Amino acid sequence: MIDSESTKNLSGQAFDRRDFLKVLGFGGTAVALSGCGNTSIEDGKETVVSYVEAKDYVIPGVAVYFNSTCAQCDAGCSITGKIREGRVLKLEGNPESSINRGKLCGLGQASVQHHYNPDRVREPLLRNGDKGQAISWEKAYELINEKLQGAKGEEVAFITGDVSGHQKVLLTNYIDSLGSKNHFVYEAVAPAVVRAGNLKSYGVEMPRYRIDKAKVVLSFGADFLGTWISPVHFAQQYAAFRKGVDGQRGVLIQAESKMTLTGANADRWLAVRPGTEGILALGIINALGIATGDVAELVKDYDRARVSRDTGVEPSNIDKIAAILRLRSPSLILAGSAAEGYVHGMQNADAINLLNHVLGNVGKTIEAPVSVPFPQLTQTKGNTASLKKLNDDLAAGKYKVLFNIATNPVYTAPASYKYGDSMAKAGFKVAFAHYLDETALQADLVLPLDSEMEDWGTHVPEYLADTAQINIQQPLMERLHANTRGMGDILLTLVKQRKPEEYKAFDDYYGYLRYAMLQNKAALGGSGDDDVFWNDTLSKGIVKLSGASGALSAKAAVEGLKLPQPEEADKQYPLRLIPSVTSNLRDGRHTNQPWIQESPDPLTTIVWDSWVEVHPKKALELGIVEGDIVKVTSKTGSVNVQVYVFPGIHPEAVSIPMGRGHEAMGRYAKGYGVNPFGIMDAVFEGSTGELAMHETRVNIAKTGQRVIVVKDEGPAGGKQMGRRVALSRSTDQVDLSKEV
Amino acid sequence: MHRYLRFPFMLASFLVAVACHAATEQTLTTEDDLGPQVQQPIEFPHYRHAGNRNPVDPTNSDPTKGGMEINCQYCHTYARRSLTAGIPPLQKCVGCHQNIPTVRDKPRIVELFKYWDAKKAIPWKKVHDLPDFVRFNHERHIKRFIEQQGRPVQEVCGYCHGQVKEMVTARRQKPITMGWCVSCHMKEHVVVAKGAIPEGGTPIGKQDYWYTFQKPAETRNAEGELTAKGPNDCWLCHK
Ligand code: SF4
Repeated sequence: MIDSESTKNLSGQAFDRRDFLKVLGFGGTAVALSGCGNTSIEDGKETVVSYVEAKDYVIPGVAVYFNSTCAQCDAGCSITGKIREGRVLKLEGNPESSINRGKLCGLGQASVQHHYNPDRVREPLLRNGDKGQAISWEKAYELINEKLQGAKGEEVAFITGDVSGHQKVLLTNYIDSLGSKNHFVYEAVAPAVVRAGNLKSYGVEMPRYRIDKAKVVLSFGADFLGTWISPVHFAQQYAAFRKGVDGQRGVLIQAESKMTLTGANADRWLAVRPGTEGILALGIINALGIATGDVAELVKDYDRARVSRDTGVEPSNIDKIAAILRLRSPSLILAGSAAEGYVHGMQNADAINLLNHVLGNVGKTIEAPVSVPFPQLTQTKGNTASLKKLNDDLAAGKYKVLFNIATNPVYTAPASYKYGDSMAKAGFKVAFAHYLDETALQADLVLPLDSEMEDWGTHVPEYLADTAQINIQQPLMERLHANTRGMGDILLTLVKQRKPEEYKAFDDYYGYLRYAMLQNKAALGGSGDDDVFWNDTLSKGIVKLSGASGALSAKAAVEGLKLPQPEEADKQYPLRLIPSVTSNLRDGRHTNQPWIQESPDPLTTIVWDSWVEVHPKKALELGIVEGDIVKVTSKTGSVNVQVYVFPGIHPEAVSIPMGRGHEAMGRYAKGYGVNPFGIMDAVFEGSTGELAMHETRVNIAKTGQRVIVVKDEGPAGGKQMGRRVALSRSTDQVDLSKEV
Repeated sequence: MHRYLRFPFMLASFLVAVACHAATEQTLTTEDDLGPQVQQPIEFPHYRHAGNRNPVDPTNSDPTKGGMEINCQYCHTYARRSLTAGIPPLQKCVGCHQNIPTVRDKPRIVELFKYWDAKKAIPWKKVHDLPDFVRFNHERHIKRFIEQQGRPVQEVCGYCHGQVKEMVTARRQKPITMGWCVSCHMKEHVVVAKGAIPEGGTPIGKQDYWYTFQKPAETRNAEGELTAKGPNDCWLCHK
């Protein structure tokens, strides 16, 4: 008879219930099944904690659901959280939202790991030399007050990400109360040039794109399935588009220098020489032959031969695109990274948008946005130009007090900004943070924020689908850590320091929010009892508004459109660096969520590490294979990174994904991969002043080291791209950490 | 363990296990297998609450002589609604006890109110603790045996929990191993005809038989009654 005791002796290791599965592995299946050796039950070991008082709807083992809003990106998808025994377990999309219609992206799914993250800041920390000393909130508020006494309004600056809703109202009031005008809204990855281009071409910054109504979509680097503006919404439009309008399955053509997730889904993917997307657009207008007047005049020099020479796209492909666009209407042309990345990005965007005008898509697949009847709640949109300005100001020593609200510019600013040094010049730096990230580490005072699952709020996303809506954010569970606070509560306390009279009626942000919403009950479409309205709002998680949509300008903006000739390759730095935005990492603010690190990149399937994509032709030329560690050098700096040979990139470009290479933030982020921001040159888009992210030129050189690329696809250590790597050892013998 | 030892060890343990299985083949039984007495923060007297009334003293004035026959489900309200039985919230105890001044100064009750006044949960120890990979559903068993077949509550709870009504703090009486669970599920049960469904009636929802992928094979016992086995799919417990 074999009981657990003998198993324990036999296997020479301690045996407990957790080892049950191991025993199964040891052929003990029958042992367990036959029931001899009855030790898998533990009596009196675990504690069962009951509720003191339980709400009627709380039944252990039965989940309840609350609606809230995803805060992982600015698309503003609505979520439904599953909560059991007072703990949030899983998120789903809220079907009532016209933005995400019940769906959620992987990044959104991972936000529970943001909430439960072991590396969250838990106490207010005051700098004491190199260390952070835990202090009370009262002390922290006092300190802020004290530091503000010694600073004039113009010496106080705020840097935040996109803000909207009542939090924005409070923030604006606070900034006003300090007499400051320095609110820098910064997003490292934002469609700022696209917005400017749209404003010029259509008269609005962000129209509604109707991929679902288009029969052909030609996208110039807009990764609308992965990362662009409102990916969950666009993915659903895309599904409708593929099902087809009038039975015609939609055709997707993607022209870009580095294949995105959307590019990988396209019917035809065109590798365009970086920066020449505008030329291609004008070439297509020329090939269409339907333009008249000044447009015809503009494109007359862009014949197929020249365009093909400049862009690297074959003449036959230009013809095919023109043919299908002529054949199928309406179509939709999108300007994505083609616009964001270059000095002449705005010109590119103009040229691409011009195509929409020529094809008559404006008003058909490009619709006017819905307007939100509460302008004070709409989103203040971030960009990168604001960081440049802030950095210059900081470097000039303009600010005595700097508030950094949940952004991480020390990590996302191009290295040449030396943002860390600039920041050090501000006298007193307050970071409101979830993690001790690169920026928080440089602050004098770090204030720990609630996760979005513990906090109240309202959000009005920039991109609204069918109707205007205000998204409600509400706690899905109690605070995990006693000493974190919601941003709204902090702002309320701070603004009370300035205007105690005005805000004395509100004990907390919840009270403020409720009051503010009830004040506008009628305008929010409510009637009757306040409590009924409020409870209804919370249970729905969305307030839908009827907002009129404006008009688009019908006239093409041709004026000033002049595209530069593609530059000759630089001798010293022959390749262009494309820092790619991947759908799970984005700008790296969520890298400390292990699911994000763990989920394979959709195109390369690489996990937990960075890579540089090199075209096979280039790889052959340089004699490198997958897994080679190369040194990627720009004017600004260099990084060592593993090579992934990838046909989905233009031979003159290499690409490193953003989001990894953290030096701080937490155990899952720190030390994995490299940060392309660290080698990015500070080059700016001509008319908007946005950082031109694709303008960095690099060279690559072998270091002689080689690793096995850890990825899902292909056998590790097996045949990859026609070569065998790590031939010498079998896969279970390879210590990957030694290989690097 | 050395790698080369692994296979012989596996083989040996398999053989031993098989032999062991053959030797100790389970009788279909609910025989007792007493677990250890577990120390609880408050010695909750189950026998006082759920125990039988004293026929001589039906007003139950003497606690040493009998219980109050309170339905298990009065306190364990979650069992019929959820797969986990949960533990009654403190509120439940206090709900009654704040109206029973006679025992208010008894040490256990004083202790109880200490927790209540501090609004602190009582850290009970788990007595019937299944491994994490087993999903036992209380609700379903209660639905079937109590609600459909109308069997007495204490008997039904007692199938697994034993004679709790005679205990002070609960103590495990049954093995609660898989073999033991299966011993019941493998039995040929008489299929109880009920309501509008002429034969084969354990209908939960609209199901003819038990929750299972396939309709179990029907047999008839010596008395000619229709019998079938209980649900036996692995996934019922191992999700
Ligand atoms: S796109 Fe994804 S991360 Fe962004 S709000 Fe929607 S679900 Fe959240």
